[in-house]
Amino acid sequence: MSALTLDNIAALPGNAALQTLRQQAADTYTRTGLPGKRDEDWKYTDISRLTAALGESWWTTSEPQTVDINDVAAIEDLDAYRLVFVAGRFQAKQSNIPAGVQLLPLAELLNSDAHEDAHCLFKLDESAPLFNGLLAANSALASDGLCACIREGIKLDKPLYVVHVGNSTAHVLSGLMLGANAEATLIEHFVGTDSSAASLSNIATYVRLQDNASLTHYRLQLESDKQLHVGRVEVKQARDSRYTLHAVELGGSLSRADIIINLSEPGASCDLNGLFVGSGRQHIDHHTRIDHNAPHCRSRENYRSVLDGRSHAVFNGKIVVAEGAIKTDSAQSNANLLLSKNAEIDTKPELEIYNDDVKCAHGVTVGQLDKNQLFYLKSRGLPEDEARQLLTFAFADEVLVGMKIKAVRRFIEKEAFAKLPNLSDLEGMLT
Amino acid sequence: MSDLSFDKKTERKPEEFTNNEYDAGFVTDIETDTLPPGLNEDVIRHISAKKDEPEWLLNWRLEAFRHWQTMTEPHWAHVDYKQIDYQAISYYSAPKSQEDGPKSLDEIDPKLLETYDKLGIPLREQEFLAGVAVDAVFDSVSVATTFKGKLKDAGVIFCPISEAVRDYPELVQQYLGTVVPTGDNFYAALNSAVFTDGSFVYIPKGVRCPMELSTYFRINALNTGQFERTLIIADEGAYVSYLEGCTAPQRDENQLHAAVVELVLLDDAQIKYATVQNWYPGDENGVGGIYNFVTKRADCRGQRSKVSWTQVETGSAITWKYPSCVLRGDDSVGEFYSVALTKMRQEADTGTKMIHIGKNTKSTIVSKGIAAGHGQQAYRGLVRIGKNADGARNFTQCDSLLIGDTCGAHTFPYVEVKNPTATMEHEATTSKIGEDQLFYCRQRGISEEDAVNMIVNGFCKDVFNELPMEFAVEANRLMEVSLEGAVG
Repeated sequence: MSALTLDNIAALPGNAALQTLRQQAADTYTRTGLPGKRDEDWKYTDISRLTAALGESWWTTSEPQTVDINDVAAIEDLDAYRLVFVAGRFQAKQSNIPAGVQLLPLAELLNSDAHEDAHCLFKLDESAPLFNGLLAANSALASDGLCACIREGIKLDKPLYVVHVGNSTAHVLSGLMLGANAEATLIEHFVGTDSSAASLSNIATYVRLQDNASLTHYRLQLESDKQLHVGRVEVKQARDSRYTLHAVELGGSLSRADIIINLSEPGASCDLNGLFVGSGRQHIDHHTRIDHNAPHCRSRENYRSVLDGRSHAVFNGKIVVAEGAIKTDSAQSNANLLLSKNAEIDTKPELEIYNDDVKCAHGVTVGQLDKNQLFYLKSRGLPEDEARQLLTFAFADEVLVGMKIKAVRRFIEKEAFAKLPNLSDLEGMLT
Repeated sequence: MSDLSFDKKTERKPEEFTNNEYDAGFVTDIETDTLPPGLNEDVIRHISAKKDEPEWLLNWRLEAFRHWQTMTEPHWAHVDYKQIDYQAISYYSAPKSQEDGPKSLDEIDPKLLETYDKLGIPLREQEFLAGVAVDAVFDSVSVATTFKGKLKDAGVIFCPISEAVRDYPELVQQYLGTVVPTGDNFYAALNSAVFTDGSFVYIPKGVRCPMELSTYFRINALNTGQFERTLIIADEGAYVSYLEGCTAPQRDENQLHAAVVELVLLDDAQIKYATVQNWYPGDENGVGGIYNFVTKRADCRGQRSKVSWTQVETGSAITWKYPSCVLRGDDSVGEFYSVALTKMRQEADTGTKMIHIGKNTKSTIVSKGIAAGHGQQAYRGLVRIGKNADGARNFTQCDSLLIGDTCGAHTFPYVEVKNPTATMEHEATTSKIGEDQLFYCRQRGISEEDAVNMIVNGFCKDVFNELPMEFAVEANRLMEVSLEGAVG
């Protein structure tokens, strides 16, 4: 394994203090390296595909190609504040920043007077759940990202729509803070271009929700076929705050996301919805971890996957209820549909409970389409193929129902179902 | 809880109910023939020589030992215990009187029989009343085997494994270590190197074993590890129901118990294997108690074979046990029913593995965990459905009941599916004893203790129903003794 050396540390934004942090992160990576198959959290995901595709110095970034945002398959009819990043660099000309909100690209923030506010994003906590070398590399090399602070009581009128165009290796580090009673919607859309070279998107997003704040987070991963994607979302929630995640995994050759939720004060709640649609040789992996650290918190999790071809999906949902976190209410469900003989699903819903006054449940199913349902549709004159399509559609659509923004839901439905075999006939159903 | 207690006098803290003294905690004072602590090749040669073992078995042991030396102790289980010093354990302990070998029950050391009496297995009575043949293992050597004659008529072989090595070497050599290989895991390798006794069962083709077979294991001598090895072979169309009960006396030291159980099933064979494990759990401060690290595996080699594991785990300071089923034959069936209770400072990491290889294989997992006091309870299971296991079916249910706010219940189910025609379902819930259920019973005049008993028994019923009659009664009694009236 090769050491991560910061040759042109001066080219990265930040002052001397930050450079020290970067150096520390680089040293951490050099020490820990990439997770191996013997790591419990990486048992089913072989990250050596990363070094196989990009070489030992997989983290190396290069000058991104310029991309016209109009050429990128963005969400149509979406009324939002758009922020565009190409290979991790902010594109001011193609973006519009909402007024009245403290919002700066990370690179700009680091060059401003308030640069020290961003330093906390670079501090690594090796004892954090699911910590790994990829995150350390991100801290060492991140040059840009989205930094936003939505002040107390502000309710953003339109969603923040962040388009990440990945066409060369990038390390993106974002921080989002919502003050008390603030409300916002964040749409992170990772989209690939037709560029042929393989590269990595290494994305870390930190979210902090103050009392009674509410964030709806869409995380849409539609990278190009050769792209590798590694993401981490870390959310810390204060009293009565609400966090809703809609994670959709459609693209990339290998995609891994770690979702870490800390319900740190009473009354906080989170809803995680995930949809994987895999085909070809895609590998999709989500590790979610919800820590119930305070009484009266609530969590809901619903992940579904539809797998075709030789695709391989991994789901690991861990819920930890700490001692004293009474009246915890937690439910988790994971359903999987295998469409092909060569697809594989490995799922592990975990519960760790240190307290008796809780209500926790989880369920997993793996299977094929229900024969009775198929029969029902066929008996009403639908051809077998169409009946299968309809049921597959219904299975996957269940996790999309919660998406409040119609334009996003339609976009995802179209993209997802275009990936499935013989599903084009359903287009009509979507309108 | 106070709002439920109308009579102040009856109000007791849950700890009082759950800390019932271990009533099998007595030490039998008889002379034993014990090796000094320590483990090396000489010890293994000594054990092997003591047992008059053939050359191949000694070599097999030595190979296991050499492999064991290259292995590291696993720490992935959700349990916490002091480092074990494997050189401080004596690997052989046999009651002295064994030297001459008892011919019948009358020749057995009366103190030994007394011990069994206290445990509730009076051999003599059992012979007449219970109709259960008992191969009692006292420390490491089997001291009495009853009903041999009757079994012999049916063609069933049921004897200590050391005897089987002598009398049926070709059977033992053919099957020993084929289900759990010597290098399978750290404790299995250790067991393969030093196992001293255990049971051997062979049911020939088409024979339905005329009675339930049963073995009581008991650790008695101080500072000895118990390493028994059980091998059960059910030939084509055979059926056997096997019961295993475990108890150990009260000691301050932690004792190690690393057993291996291998089950082999050929076409249409069926084995029911039931365990009631009540090793000494240590005291309320976590001092003493048995470390129970067991490898149990059934290999359904034949088509339409069926294996069922039923376990009631109430003892041991640490339990680390995953009875598994390898469903190799088409249409084979694996079942796992478990009740595990952890109280005081007990920790259990238990569950099962269902490996579906053959077509149309089915498995059922029902696991009920009860944690009280400072007990930590974990279900860890694997359901793997291989590429060729067309039409495989699994149903898993694991429920946890929590009593008190300092205990813990954890679930780590691994699900790996590689076949699109497979159907698998997993459900898990965790909750405490329903206050409304308790209230309902109380207002009908049922005491709090009895009410909790009823609720816990109801919670465990799915599993107890799978136990043979005698064991179901014992299991019920065990649960009652351990959990009288615990309320969260």
